[in-house]
Amino acid sequence: MIAIDPLLEGRLLWTPLLIVILKVVVVFVIGLVSTIFMVNFERKMVSGLQNRIGPNRAGPRGIFQALADGIKSFFKEDLLPSRADRVVFRLAPFLSFVPAFLIWSVIPLGGEFGPNDDGTLKDGTVVWFGEVTRVQLADPPIGILVVLALSSIAVYGIMLAGWSSGSKYPLLGSVRASAQMVSYEAALGLSLAAVLLSAGTLSTASIVAQQDSFVNWNLVSTGIVPFIVFLIATTAELNRPPFDLVEAEQELVGGFNTEYSGIRFALFFLSEFMGVVTMSAVIVTLFFGGPQPLFLGDVNVLAFLGPLSGTAWFALKLLGFLYLFVWFRATLPRLRYDQLMDFGWKILIPVALGWFLLLAALREFSPDGTFADSLRVVVISLAVGAAAGGLFLLALRVAQNNRLEADETPPTREGVTT
Amino acid sequence: MSQYLPLVVLLALAVVFGILSFFASRLLAPRRPSSAKEAPYECGIVPSREPPERFPVSFYVVAMLFIMFDIEIIFLYPYAVNHSTLGFYGFWAILFFSVIFFATFVYEVARGGLDWGPMQRYRQLATDAAMVTPERTLASTVRRVGTEGREPESSSPSAA
Repeated sequence: MIAIDPLLEGRLLWTPLLIVILKVVVVFVIGLVSTIFMVNFERKMVSGLQNRIGPNRAGPRGIFQALADGIKSFFKEDLLPSRADRVVFRLAPFLSFVPAFLIWSVIPLGGEFGPNDDGTLKDGTVVWFGEVTRVQLADPPIGILVVLALSSIAVYGIMLAGWSSGSKYPLLGSVRASAQMVSYEAALGLSLAAVLLSAGTLSTASIVAQQDSFVNWNLVSTGIVPFIVFLIATTAELNRPPFDLVEAEQELVGGFNTEYSGIRFALFFLSEFMGVVTMSAVIVTLFFGGPQPLFLGDVNVLAFLGPLSGTAWFALKLLGFLYLFVWFRATLPRLRYDQLMDFGWKILIPVALGWFLLLAALREFSPDGTFADSLRVVVISLAVGAAAGGLFLLALRVAQNNRLEADETPPTREGVTT
Repeated sequence: MSQYLPLVVLLALAVVFGILSFFASRLLAPRRPSSAKEAPYECGIVPSREPPERFPVSFYVVAMLFIMFDIEIIFLYPYAVNHSTLGFYGFWAILFFSVIFFATFVYEVARGGLDWGPMQRYRQLATDAAMVTPERTLASTVRRVGTEGREPESSSPSAA
């Protein structure tokens, strides 16, 4: 299995270079269009879930609303607060917008999958203009690390935006945001390790190529736990409800982007919604086989689309997650900050780490997957896990007792007396 | 390294898009700054204090813990990718490392490094019962403020 794009091997000639430029432009357009679509999709879906009409003025059924909002922001005055750090204030929108865009480059967007005539499986490569390539902008051997690196850079955008505004609420919002994002990034990374354990590679194309049937989807082969941890961590990483503490309007006005207006605000807005689409695409790639078809028996339902069927499968799965994120927003109330931190550190991270070690133990000590071996490993792991859990609960108890001793005067609920 | 060529091209395109939209905004948008517009946003109140430069130390603790966890993750990934060649030695090494790591994490939790906000308490019934006594009236529970230099109300309804 090749972990690289065969297009870019060897000497770089004109045809591959033109294909690269064509791909870049197509991915760029997909990125922008999907973001505009996402804004509309979210507003329409939320309005439906809240039993109201939603945008319906710009274009038929309001489909041009997001576009109109984007164009409007060009015509709005771009204020620079007097206390702001001018350089950083201007730089911050780029730091959050550019990484959101770049994640698109390592996502497999389509390809040819399914059995060949001779029974072997296709590996997702396609032939364009006589060149073998992938329906993916780039396939570096460290694809997943690129995603993690870019989502870490996005933290800088938010943190510096709040810090450089020279204002009260943006600073609070950005401090909260960076603590929240780094906390859940740890959970994100640990749950991702379970996927890498079953994939054995960091290249996104290879991760997709391995998930060639439903039982091989990482959702199933890693157990469902890493997927759940990853989904929750992604929601927090994107500052989406119920983890949108960053822009808790009742406490922080608008959060880190309070002082931003005009096109700078539009760039933050764009990167936020693009982040939803790209991270959904990452989830689909890692856990749901990306553009791999879901076979019903031996039948690929979307096979009639020919070479586009991979892309159609990808879009279908992506749409499911986009809807899930909107559904979260419409359904779940926002968490309190201490609940958010407790949940991230004291539940998600230990669970993700423990599950990773369990999967590693299963792979080492029960390589054939026989029932007796697996059972023995699981029982021993459960015993070790219970000991670790007991220790952890003890630590929580100690922390609580220390706090109880620390404040000797428990607050009474007496009223204020004159 | 040519595998990264498309990434660089997309990076350039995204940066160019951002810069172009800035220039478009500069051409199209009005520029009428005033001191009121440039003041820090405080929901309409004129800002009276310097913006805060300090924030709770818990955020620093979280940042340091994150660095620790990031190192753990950095060590996990090579093992996860190459676990078939590393074999038992790799597994025991990772397990040993994780145990030490987990022990420090437990210590951190026990010292209260991850405690946020006020304590979660259960209210006592006695305190709750004291809330509904007839001694508690508007006069005893509500403190009147802003009455300096004003005529005291002659017939206060809460005096009774």
